[in-house]
Amino acid sequence: MRRLLDKRVLFFGGKGGVGKTTCASAMALAASQAGKRVLLVSTDPAHSTSDMFERPIGPEPVQLLPNLFGLEIDGAFESERYVSNVKEQIRGLFGHHILKEANRQIDLAASMPGAEEMALFDRIGALIRGEDDRFDLLVFDTAPTGHTLRLIKMPELMEAWIRALSRSRRAMLGIDQDDATDPVMLSLAERLEHLREFRARLLSPRVSAFILVLVAERLPIEETARAIVQLEEAGVTIGGLVVNRILPATSPDPFLRSRHDQEMIYLDEIDRRFVSHPRVRVPQLATDVHGVKTLEHLAAFLATERVPT
Amino acid sequence: MVSIRDNIRDFLHGAAYGQYERELRLQAAELNDLFLLLCYMEIVGLPNPATLYLLDVYPYILQQFHLWHRRMGMNKSPLGTLPCC
Repeated sequence: MRRLLDKRVLFFGGKGGVGKTTCASAMALAASQAGKRVLLVSTDPAHSTSDMFERPIGPEPVQLLPNLFGLEIDGAFESERYVSNVKEQIRGLFGHHILKEANRQIDLAASMPGAEEMALFDRIGALIRGEDDRFDLLVFDTAPTGHTLRLIKMPELMEAWIRALSRSRRAMLGIDQDDATDPVMLSLAERLEHLREFRARLLSPRVSAFILVLVAERLPIEETARAIVQLEEAGVTIGGLVVNRILPATSPDPFLRSRHDQEMIYLDEIDRRFVSHPRVRVPQLATDVHGVKTLEHLAAFLATERVPT
Repeated sequence: MVSIRDNIRDFLHGAAYGQYERELRLQAAELNDLFLLLCYMEIVGLPNPATLYLLDVYPYILQQFHLWHRRMGMNKSPLGTLPCC
């Protein structure tokens, strides 16, 4: 999966518990050691990258290693920041009375369900648009599949919304005012431009790729197959599959041998069903993965690859 | 000072569009209401994915909201969650 290091944005996704955080961290580490300035972003509300690197990571980028930064996006924090930015932005523009009412409305809107998810989405959008130019590569450790698919479809959905709003506003202005000077129109146009850029980068095969992590078991295989269909439908490039935690072949223990035999069947199935996608196999390690040393060990496996035939 | 030229222009403009003015104003008001509804969907209980992106336009549309509730014959804001006057 070395060639994926030339992208600007990598997503790691998959079913819960298959090792997304581990693989994303290992990839981020490998990229940083190859000389890229990397930001590892966790979007799962149940963050675990800080456990992986054994140090606290917060809602602002934290340096973990010379070229590696970590960020754990937090919906509540982002929503608060978003709201205070808006309040700051409008402060000088209006009189006291209007501001008081507007601030009240803003607080109300920000407390609605969905506001946090939306603020999270906005931050991810800003990151993907390359707002923070300190980084060459963003590695996203995403939440389990369903949540992430929604996030990926969101720019399109939002774009449609903002476009409908602009259309409605323009129709109204067309009757008695010019729309080039209307502040509402200007704000909507800027949003639209940002969303377009976000979507363009998300869907560009040169910029972004999605890597699916799975283990050789029935349920993760089915979920991966569905995710691939949906991601491709959305226009996202599949960077490859990581088949994680494969058991060692030689074991005297009958229990492990039986598990291994079953795994071989699933591994064959994975090779057959996902033949058009690059695949890597990562063995089950003797100890669990946390800290830089074990991640380096794991990163070596990510570099080996079974290319599509 | 208003020139004869301006007078003639205003006269012709009035003769041509005057009879439609009421109609146009009504239409503008209706479109305005639609835009307000799209902005304030959350407040009337409809989910709106764009709410957060509309926060910075709220102060601009407050004035329109005021015009709307007056036009609808309500002296005060009918929405408890959206106080106006």
